Amino acid sequence: MAIDGKIIFRTKGLTKIYRSGAQEVHALRRVDFQAARGEFIVILGPSGSGKSTFLNIVGGLDTATAGKAWFGDRELTALDERGLTRYRRDHVGFVFQFYNLVPSLTAHENVALVTEIARRPMSPDEALALVGLSDRRDHFPAQLSGGEQQRVAIARAIAKNPEVLLCDEPTGALDSVTGIRVLEALTQVNRTIGTTTLVITHNAAIREIADRVLRFADGRIVDETVNAARKSPAEVSW
Amino acid sequence: MIPPLRRKMFRDLLRLWAQVLAIALVLAAGVATLILGNGAYSSLHETRARYYDSYRFADVFADVTRAPRALMAEIAAIEDVLAAEARIVKLGLLDLPAMTEPGTMLLVSLPEGGARGLNRLHLRQGRLPDPQSAREVVLSEGFARAHRLRPGDSLAVLMNGQRREMTVTGIALSPEFIYALGPGEMMPDPRRFGIAWLPRPGMEAAYDLESAFSNVVLKLAPGASVDRAIEALDRLTAPYGGGGATARSDQTSHAFLDAELRQLSAMARILPPIFLLVAAMLVNITLSRLITLEREQIGLLKAIGYSSRAIAQHYLEFVLAIAALGIVIGLAAGVWLGAGLAQLYASFFSFPFLVFTRDPQIYGVAAAVSAASAAGGALFAVRAAIALPPAIAMSPPAPADYRARTGFLRRRLSLRQTDVMILRHLVHWPLRTASGVLGMAMSVAILVASLWSFGSIDHMIDVTFTRAERHDARVVFTDTRPARAAYAMRQMPGVLAAEPFRAVSAQISHRNLSRRLSVIGKPETPLLSRVLSPDLRPMTMPEAGLIVSEALAEALDVRPGDRVTVEFLEGARRTVTLPVSGVSLGYVGLGAAMELSALNRALGDGDVISGVGLLIDDAERDAFYAAAKDTPTTGFVTVTALTVARFKETLAENITIMITVYVALAGIIAVGVVYNFSRIALSEQGRELASLRVLGFSRREVAGILLGELVAIVLLAQPLGWFLGYLMGLGMVSAFSSDLYRVPFVIRPDVYATASLIVGAAALASALAIRGRINNLNMIEVLKTRE
Repeated sequence: MAIDGKIIFRTKGLTKIYRSGAQEVHALRRVDFQAARGEFIVILGPSGSGKSTFLNIVGGLDTATAGKAWFGDRELTALDERGLTRYRRDHVGFVFQFYNLVPSLTAHENVALVTEIARRPMSPDEALALVGLSDRRDHFPAQLSGGEQQRVAIARAIAKNPEVLLCDEPTGALDSVTGIRVLEALTQVNRTIGTTTLVITHNAAIREIADRVLRFADGRIVDETVNAARKSPAEVSW
Repeated sequence: MIPPLRRKMFRDLLRLWAQVLAIALVLAAGVATLILGNGAYSSLHETRARYYDSYRFADVFADVTRAPRALMAEIAAIEDVLAAEARIVKLGLLDLPAMTEPGTMLLVSLPEGGARGLNRLHLRQGRLPDPQSAREVVLSEGFARAHRLRPGDSLAVLMNGQRREMTVTGIALSPEFIYALGPGEMMPDPRRFGIAWLPRPGMEAAYDLESAFSNVVLKLAPGASVDRAIEALDRLTAPYGGGGATARSDQTSHAFLDAELRQLSAMARILPPIFLLVAAMLVNITLSRLITLEREQIGLLKAIGYSSRAIAQHYLEFVLAIAALGIVIGLAAGVWLGAGLAQLYASFFSFPFLVFTRDPQIYGVAAAVSAASAAGGALFAVRAAIALPPAIAMSPPAPADYRARTGFLRRRLSLRQTDVMILRHLVHWPLRTASGVLGMAMSVAILVASLWSFGSIDHMIDVTFTRAERHDARVVFTDTRPARAAYAMRQMPGVLAAEPFRAVSAQISHRNLSRRLSVIGKPETPLLSRVLSPDLRPMTMPEAGLIVSEALAEALDVRPGDRVTVEFLEGARRTVTLPVSGVSLGYVGLGAAMELSALNRALGDGDVISGVGLLIDDAERDAFYAAAKDTPTTGFVTVTALTVARFKETLAENITIMITVYVALAGIIAVGVVYNFSRIALSEQGRELASLRVLGFSRREVAGILLGELVAIVLLAQPLGWFLGYLMGLGMVSAFSSDLYRVPFVIRPDVYATASLIVGAAALASALAIRGRINNLNMIEVLKTRE
C-alpha cells in the first residue's frame, strides 16, 4: 500500500482488549486514524475512553490485540519488544503527567540522559533553551517547580529530535499559569522543529491550540474537529 | 477475630516472602552457629566430663624406669591421693603380615582387680583377658577397626624384641586415649598405632619387671593441689628413673581434646555476632523502605485514631515475626547440625557415648539475642514512623533532594548519566550503602577467615617436613645407646644417611614460668633434622646454650641472651643454667634444641644418643622396615611420608566439612544482602527505571543501572572484606594456638580471590533473581501514577 509521504501515523482497525479473569474490557474498538507530519493534535475524552491506550500503542509502549498501526511505512504492530524499544529510542518523545524526571540528575543531566543514547540529538543546552530553562540547567528536580520540571521533561523528550512527541496529560498536575507555560513550550517545539505532537488532556479548553482535535469515547474516536486557526496558549482560558 | 493491623502484618509477610526469608535465613545462620558452637562444645565437654568421671580417669601420670611395687604404699600415702595404680606401660612394635610399614602398639598392663582400677576400659566387644593369661589382649577400638580384628582373632607384637602371638578377647575404649596419638606423630592414625591392654604377668615377664612397675597413675581428691601431688610423686619416683609426673592438663589425649574444644568455643564466639549484625542491618534497610512506601497508610491510620504506639507495635510485630521465623529455622538447623558435629567429633575422638546437652538456656539466649538484634535493627525505622505527623504523612513525600556532591568525581571520570545516577544514589543513602558494603564484606571476611587455613597448612607442612625435618624415617631406641649405634643404623638395608639425636625430657624455667618438654641434642650442623630461624634459614647448634622455638620463647618470656634453668628429668637429674642462644621457628609443640655433645656434657653422660634420623632409598624401604622391626633396640619408627599423608588426610576431612559450612554461611549472607538490597533499590527506583524504558532504554541498559549499583557495593566490599577476614584470621590463629601447635598465619592471594569469586557468584545469582522483575517493569503504570 502506498503511503502518502506526509502521513506519519496510521492505524487501521486498532483494537485493544484487556482481560482480567473472565472479564473483557474493550479499551479500543477498531480505531482508524492518521496524522500528518508536523500536525498538533489534541485528544480529549473522559477517563477510560481509550485515549491513553491509543497513545501507548502508537508510542510503542503497549501492543494491540487486533488491527494495525504504522509509523511511516513501518508496521508498529509487527514489532517485537526489542523493535519497540528501538522505535521509542529513535523516534518518539514522551511527556508524562508526573514529569518522571530522574531525581538524582540535574535538569541538564536529565536531558543528557536521552541525548547520550539518541542517533541525532540536539545538545542538552539547546533543548533547555527551547523550553526557556537555560538558567536552571544545574538544578535538581527537587529544586524546580512543577512547571519547570515539566518543561525539563519536554526538553528531555525533544532533545533527541523525535519525529513525534506524545504527551499524556502534560498539564494535569499544574495550575493554569504554569500549564500555559508548558503548552507554550510544546507549541514552540512543534513550530520550530516540526515535531508531530499528540496531546491527551481532560481540559477541553486546550483544544483551541491544536490543528486537529479528536474526541474519544468508549474506545472509539467519536468526533474530529479541524481548527482553521490555532490559538496561542496564552489566549486560552481555563 | 484477628485485628486488622495484624492481618495486614501477615499479608505483608506473605507479600514480601522472599525478602523476609532472606533476612530470616541470615538470622537463622546466627542462631544456628550460636547453638551449633555452644551445643557441640557443651555436648563434648559434658561427654568428656562424664566419661572421665564414670571411668575414673586419672589426674596425674608418671613414667619411671623401674620402681619396686613396694613404693606404691608410699605413693598411695601422698596427701589427697584417692587411688594410685602401678602399671607397666611399654611400646611394642606391630608385626602384621598385611602391613609392611612400621606400626607401634602401646602395651598397658591391666590392674589385677579386673575392672576396678583407674582409667577403666569401656568394653565394646568381647571380654577382658583372663588375668593369668600371657596371650590374651584387649585392643583399642580404632586399631581393631582399622585392621578388622575381632575377638578370637590373633595378632603378633614385638615386645622387647621378642615376637608374641596374642589372641584378641575384647575391643575397648579408654578415657586415657580419646585422642590416640602415636609416638612422634602429628595426627592419630589408628592403622599404625593402637593400644593393647594385657594382664600384668605377661608384661612383667616380657619386660623383666616382676614386682615392679614402669608407670603410675593417681586419682586425687576433688580440690586437691595437683602441683603438690606431682612434687611429692616426683620425689618418690626420682630414684627409680622417674621422668617427672604430668598433670591431666598435659596428658596428650586430654590436651589435644582441650585444644579442639577451645577452637569450637572460639567459633561460637566469632561467627554469631556477624550474622546478627548483618541481620539487624537488613531489617533496618528493609523496614525503612516498607515504612516509606506505607507513609500514606501510616498517616491515614494516625488520622483515624490509631496511636503511634499501635503503629510501632505493628511494625515491631512484623520484624519479630521475621525473627521468629529465623529463630525457628536456626534452632532446627542448629540442633540438627550440632548433633552432626558432635557425632563427627565423637567419631574422630573415641567416646563410648555422646551426651547431647539440650540446654534450654542456650536456646533461650540464642532466641533472645536474635530477636533483640532484629528489633534493634527495626528501631530507627520504627522511630521514623512514629515521628511522622499524620497530615504530612498523608501527602506524598517531597522528591528526594539530591545535591551535586559528586561533581569532582564525574568530571574526572567522564561518566555517563546512568553512571551518575548510580553514583548519586549510592552517595545519597550513605547508611544503606554502608550497610550493603559491610554486609557483603562480612561474607567475604567469613570466607577469607576459613579459606586461609589451606595455605597455612601447606606452609606448615612445607616448613616442618621439607625444610626442617628432612629425614625419611626416624628410629627411636628403647633406651639411650652409645653414639656408635648410629653407625650400625647406617649399615641397615636402604639407609643412605643417618643422623643421631638425643631427646631428654626436662623442665625449663625462666622466672616463674616453666614448661616441660624434650630437649633435643643435634649435631652442630644438622643436615636431616634442621632447626630453622624465623626467616627459614638453617641454624647451627651453639657450642653451649639452647635454641628455643618461638612458642617456647613466648611461653617462658625469654629472648636470646636470657638464661634459663634446665632441670633434666632423666639420668642424674642435673639442673643447669643455660643461655638462650637463638629462637627458632616451629609449629608443632614446644621445642628446645642444643648441640648433642653439649647436651651430653650438661647431663654428665658419655657419648650417647636416643635415636637416628635416616634417609632411605625408596626402593629398599620395605627391607629397611623389616630390618628395623627385627632390631631389638628399636623402640619405634616414624615415617615422615606416612605422618604427612595422615596429617593431610585428617585435616582434609575436617577442613572440607568446615569449609562447606563456611561457604554456605557466607553464601547466605551474600544472597541475603544482595537480594534485599536489590529489591529495595528496585522498589525505590522502579519508577525511574520504567521511565527510562519509556524513553527508549533497553531492558539490558535498565538492568545495568540497578546491577551497576550492586556491582559497586560488591566491589567496595571486597577490600574491606579482605581486611576484616585478615583480622578474623588473626583472631582465629591466636585462639587456635596452644603449646601443642601453632598455626602459621599465611594468607595467599588466591584466598582473597576465591573468597571474592564465591561472594561474587552468590551476588550474581541473587541479582539474576530480580532480573525478571526489571524486565517486567510496567511502563504504562508509570505514566499514570505519582509515586
